[in-house]
Order: sequence, then structure tokens, then C-alpha cells
Amino acid sequence: MLTASVYSNPGFDFSNLTRNNFLSEKGLPLPKATSTGTTIVGCVFEDGIILGADTRATEGPIVADKNCEKIHYITESIRCCGAGTAADTEFVTNLISSNMEMHALTHGRKPRVVTAMTMLKQYLFRHQGHVGAALVLGGVDATGPNLFTIAPHGSTDKLPYVTMGSGSLAAMAVFESNWQANMSRAAALQLVKDAISAGIFNDLGSGSNVDACIITVNHTEMLRNVEMPNERVQKERTYVFPKGTTAWKKEDIKKLVLSEEVTPIGVEAMDTD
Amino acid sequence: MTSIGTGYDLSASTYSPDGRIFQVEYANKAVENSGTAIGLRVKDGIILAVEKLVHSKLLIPEANRRIQTLDRHLGLATAGLLADGRQLADKARDESANFRDSFRSPAPVKYIADRLGSYVQVYTLYSSVRPFGISTIIGGVDQDGPSLFVIEPSGVFFGYHGAAVGKGRQLAKTELEKLKLSELSMRQAVFEAARIIYLVHDDSKEKTFELEMSWIGDETNGLHVPVPKDLLAEAEQRAKAELEDFE
Amino acid sequence: MDHIDMHRLKQGEVNLGTSIMAVQFDGGVVIGADSRTTTGSYIANRVTDKLTFLHDRIYCCRSGSAADTQAIADFGHYYLQMQAQTLGSAPAVLTAAAIMEKMCYQNKDQLSAGIIVAGWDKKTGPSVYNIPLGGGLFRQPWAIGGSGSTYVYGYCDATYQEGWGKDETVNFVKNTLTLAMSRDGSSGGCIRMCVITEDGVERKFIPGNELPKFWEGKEVLGEATQKALAAISAVSDVAPMAVEV
Repeated sequence: MLTASVYSNPGFDFSNLTRNNFLSEKGLPLPKATSTGTTIVGCVFEDGIILGADTRATEGPIVADKNCEKIHYITESIRCCGAGTAADTEFVTNLISSNMEMHALTHGRKPRVVTAMTMLKQYLFRHQGHVGAALVLGGVDATGPNLFTIAPHGSTDKLPYVTMGSGSLAAMAVFESNWQANMSRAAALQLVKDAISAGIFNDLGSGSNVDACIITVNHTEMLRNVEMPNERVQKERTYVFPKGTTAWKKEDIKKLVLSEEVTPIGVEAMDTD
Repeated sequence: MTSIGTGYDLSASTYSPDGRIFQVEYANKAVENSGTAIGLRVKDGIILAVEKLVHSKLLIPEANRRIQTLDRHLGLATAGLLADGRQLADKARDESANFRDSFRSPAPVKYIADRLGSYVQVYTLYSSVRPFGISTIIGGVDQDGPSLFVIEPSGVFFGYHGAAVGKGRQLAKTELEKLKLSELSMRQAVFEAARIIYLVHDDSKEKTFELEMSWIGDETNGLHVPVPKDLLAEAEQRAKAELEDFE
Repeated sequence: MDHIDMHRLKQGEVNLGTSIMAVQFDGGVVIGADSRTTTGSYIANRVTDKLTFLHDRIYCCRSGSAADTQAIADFGHYYLQMQAQTLGSAPAVLTAAAIMEKMCYQNKDQLSAGIIVAGWDKKTGPSVYNIPLGGGLFRQPWAIGGSGSTYVYGYCDATYQEGWGKDETVNFVKNTLTLAMSRDGSSGGCIRMCVITEDGVERKFIPGNELPKFWEGKEVLGEATQKALAAISAVSDVAPMAVEV
């Protein structure tokens, strides 16, 4: 029988609070939520939008995935890059993608980028920053090309070129020095690749490959791993031991799969008349 | 009225086969039993006047007023069940106060009429409630000048230059139509309103009545207030004199 | 955070460390704002538009949290559309300001928003309303707001006069914002302005390199010292220091 007063008293139970305060006083603070370091960018060019992202996913100091996908599908001609808490970016883009499809179905026409932007910002604002998604949303709709950033608390910006994530400063430096109005497709793609590369090489949280997505009025092209500057090369020496390196004296093969005989009783054949 | 007595008049939630709601029509009958109420929309304001029938000599004069104030700039006169009028006025005060609270400005007369219309209409939908037994005249002065509305038991509302509800409404309407309402001043309209109420009052059927009058407009600085005692007395004097001449 | 959190911003929240302003004149109002949005020490947007549409002739200037003020402005916009539709006429500036104030006051514990609502309506003509941090609604002939405003209260008091026309008012806004931006680290970039009159809304944009010039400091060292310093800097071409860990 427990006799501790916190359990026998009626009303709220503050025992966990007491425990947590005690632990953090002893130097064991609550674990912090991990957020992924990332470089994501977006850029307007003469006939559409190009989005870019690196492919590194981290858990604290560990690279959790060396080739993940950070450019998420919203609709055919609207895509969204995600930075921040990986689970949140994945979930929120999935949710809004689903809602956008429903929206398109009920209204019978292609949905606009501002619609996705409004849905995302209202969702993020409602959760007061606890959904840690920092997004770059881009696409082409009836009004033309549109590009937005959406911060975790729900604020949005509309700009011709944008960057987000821990590598945003490195990427922005590339944009600020080389971006021009009405760039060609090739020039814009190169600029996006350069911006992501700047993140990959100069930001610890970003790395691996470059993904890009080119969205124009009637075509969306997903360029997966358009640049792979960190491919693993052939090792100069081989470390495989040749067969027979280890000597053996005895061979014994055991049957590990068990089988059982089953006798069916009272089971009639299916009526197939 | 072939359907009467066949069970279609027991509930507001039932139509008769020819598409009528008898409970609402009966509510109109309740209005017709009541003393007349009129409203005049003139060039610089609104006048509300009521023929309040006095059922007992024991009643204190000026008790049971049928003209009520909703807001600084809004007045309401009802014909029909007195208690229903009180309830509707309470609702109207709520609406008006809410509007002020939300938008920091006086509610337009039409807005209040619209909200009350919707409120009254709801009471024509359910078997568990009885429709309002009142016709309501709402008058007020807002941004766009004076305006006047009547809400019926069915919930419909219309805007009027001159409105009359209750027992003597037919005669009152004929009299109102003779006036050039948009050219009258508030002061002139007070005399006309008093005259009409005295005219429509049927001495042979009802014994005594009280004339209740209020106004809103330039004369009152946009406030809904009772017509001053001396002016009311003068208007009654003139109305009586005119009636004697007429007879 | 161990210091007093004056601006009550959440960790990592996007901030409009701002200079905003609205001034009424005879035929309308002039509103203006700098264009800087910051996250900590990083400028998240250097060409922000903090002058936000609420209705045809009513705008607001936003300061505080970007997320909060955008959300409030979106709701305000929605309410005013509903109001205009149900009443069949353009809403008054006071109405718009009252709606915004209500949201700011009722949610004061969760918001950091300082908003100026300004515009023109048929009943009142031009008007400016200030809604400071915790709510409250104050009509003023001119209002300034945001972190940059503290530097220019004196300038405004000393300069503002009644009876100005449009051009004088535009100049007043332009000069005030320039001074505020030059002293406040979290304000800067360009100036955006709107002139709202009965006839419409006219937007004005002043790039950061075309702002009016004010006293920008002067070298206080003596001529001889300066010459000596110039000689040194001509010789030594010092490379920036790199740090390796």
C-alpha cells in the first residue's frame, strides 16, 4: 500500500513536476526535441518556379538518412520543401496535400498556391509553433508562379527567391549575389544547385545530394539527386577475407523449420452450386 | 378555410394542404385584437404612436407602456400580446448592445429589424413553441437618416414611410396615405399621429385609452424619447377638437 | 532566457522589429513602415510589406510577431468583408479598429501585436487609431509604433503641425521613418507608404539608397591623426582572421 501523500490526496497530481524539477536540478534536463538541419530554397524564373533541397536528415549529431526527400507533393503543380522537425513537415504537407485534393474536387478546378499557403499558415498558427515546420511553398496556378516561405509560428513571406533551414544563410548569400529577374530555366536551375551546394558544404546540418523540382504551367519535373557531390568512391583496398581463411573441423546442419500434421474434422466442402 | 378543424392548425410545424401555417395566421388574429400602433417616417425623424387601451380604472396611468426604447437611437412599438413585445424588445436590446460592443458604432435600424425578423421566424418552425403574437414597428435614426420597419408574426419585415398595426390599422393606413410624409416635420407629424390615433379609436366598443407617443430625430438630437408632456397635451387637444368638428 | 522578455516573443519566432507610422491629413491618411523582418539577428525578409489591407479604404500597420499580426489582420479582413456584405456599405475605420482591438485585448496573453489602423470612411473622413501591445483603442492625429518609434517621439512632437496637405504629410512620414530606421537596429531596409483618400489608395516605395539624408556622424580625430591612420591602412592589407577549432 502506497502511503506517499501525493498519491493519497485528492485533486491534481504534481508528483511528476516535483520529480522533473529535482532531476533538472541534478543536471538532467528534459530531452530536447530533435530538429533536422536543412537547406531548402525556392526561386522564381521566367516561366515558373524551381524548388531545391539537400537530402541529409539528422538526429542530433547523427546523420539519420543520407538521401531523404525533402520536396513534398502538395498537388501536381504545387510542391513544398520542408525544414525543421522531420515528422512535422511530413505530416503537415501530407495533411494539406489531402485537403487540397478535396478542395480541388469540391470546386472542380485546380487549386491555387495561396490556398495551400493559407491552409498551412492557419494550421501552424493554431498550433502556436509546436508543429515545427519551416516551409518553402512554390507552384504555378491560374494567377501565375507563386513562391512563399512559412515559418513554424505561421508567418508567411512572399518573395522572388527564398531560403529556409539551418543552411538558409549560406544559400541566401548565393541568391543575394547572383539572382536576377526573369532568369532562364537553365540559369535558374544552376543557381538553385549552387545555393543548395552552399548549404551542403558550409552548413553542418545539411549534406549529401541536391534535389530540385521545376514547376511550369503544364509540367512539373522532379529532379531527384540532380547533383551528387558526395558519392562514395571505390575503396583503394579491399577488406574482404578470401574463402577458407578460417579453418573448420566439423559440419552440422540442423532442421529449424517445424511442421505439424493437421487432421480436419467436420469441415464440409464449400457449396459451389 | 376548408382545412380548419382538420388538425392542421394545431402546430406551427405543420402546413395545411394548401400551404398555409394556421398558427401564424392565428398569431395575426392576436395582433388584430390589440389597440392600434402607428409609425411615421418623416424628413427629419420618426414618430411612434400607440392607442393603449386601458382595461381597468385601477391601473396607474402610463403603466404597461407599449413603446419601448432599444438603444439611444432606436424605438419599438408593438401591437398584440404585451409580454411578447417585452421579450422581443429584450432581444433587440441584446442585439443592439452586441453590435455596439463589436463595432463601436450604433446599429443600423435595418440590421436590428433583420435580426429580429430572423428571431421571430424561428418561432414558426417548431411544434414546441408558439409564434410571436405581435406585429412590431421599429423606428430609428442611423447613418442613413430615419428608417421604419414592421416585423410580422411570420418573421417577414418591410420598410415603410408610414406603418400601422393592430385593430384600427386599415383606417390608419388610409389616413397615413393622405399625408406627404417625406415633407412633414417631426412636430407636424406628432399632431398628425395623435389625430390618427384619436380617429381610429372606436368609442362605442372600447371605453378609455391612453395616447402614447415617442419620437427620434433632429428635434431630439437623434435620441429615442417620449414626446414632451406639453406637446403631447397640445396634440391631444387638437386631435379631440378636430374629431368633434368632423363629427 | 534569463533577462526580462519584454517583447514576449516565443523562441525562434519571426519578429517585426519595426518602425511604423500613420498620420491623418485633410483629405486622407498617410501610413508608412520600414521593410525589415527578423529572426534573432537574421533578416528573414528585407522587403516586407507591413502595410496590410483590411478593406477598400482601411489598412493597418503591423508590429510585433509576424505570425500573430498576420493572423489578426487575416481575421480582421474576414470580419470586415462579412460586415460590408451584411450591411451593404463600406465599414467605418472605427469599426475596423474596434474589431482589431477586440482580438488584441481578448487574446492579450497569447499575442504580441502592436497595430495601427488607419483609413478613410464616409462618416468620419480620415482617421488613425492606435492599438498598443495589450489592447486599447486610441484615436490620434498621428501614431507611431514598433521598436523604432521610441527614437522619434521627440522628432514627431517637434515637427508635426495641423493643417498639412498630402505632400507635407508624406514627407513627415518619410523623414520620421528614416530617422527611426537609422537609430533602431531591428528596423531598416526600404520605406513603404500608402496614401489613403476617398478616391483610392496610392502606394509609394522608397528604396534604401534613396532615403533622405540626415546627420550621419563626423570624424572626430584631428587632421594629423587621420593622416597617420590613412598612411597605415594604405600599407597594411590585413587579411580577415580565420578560426579553426
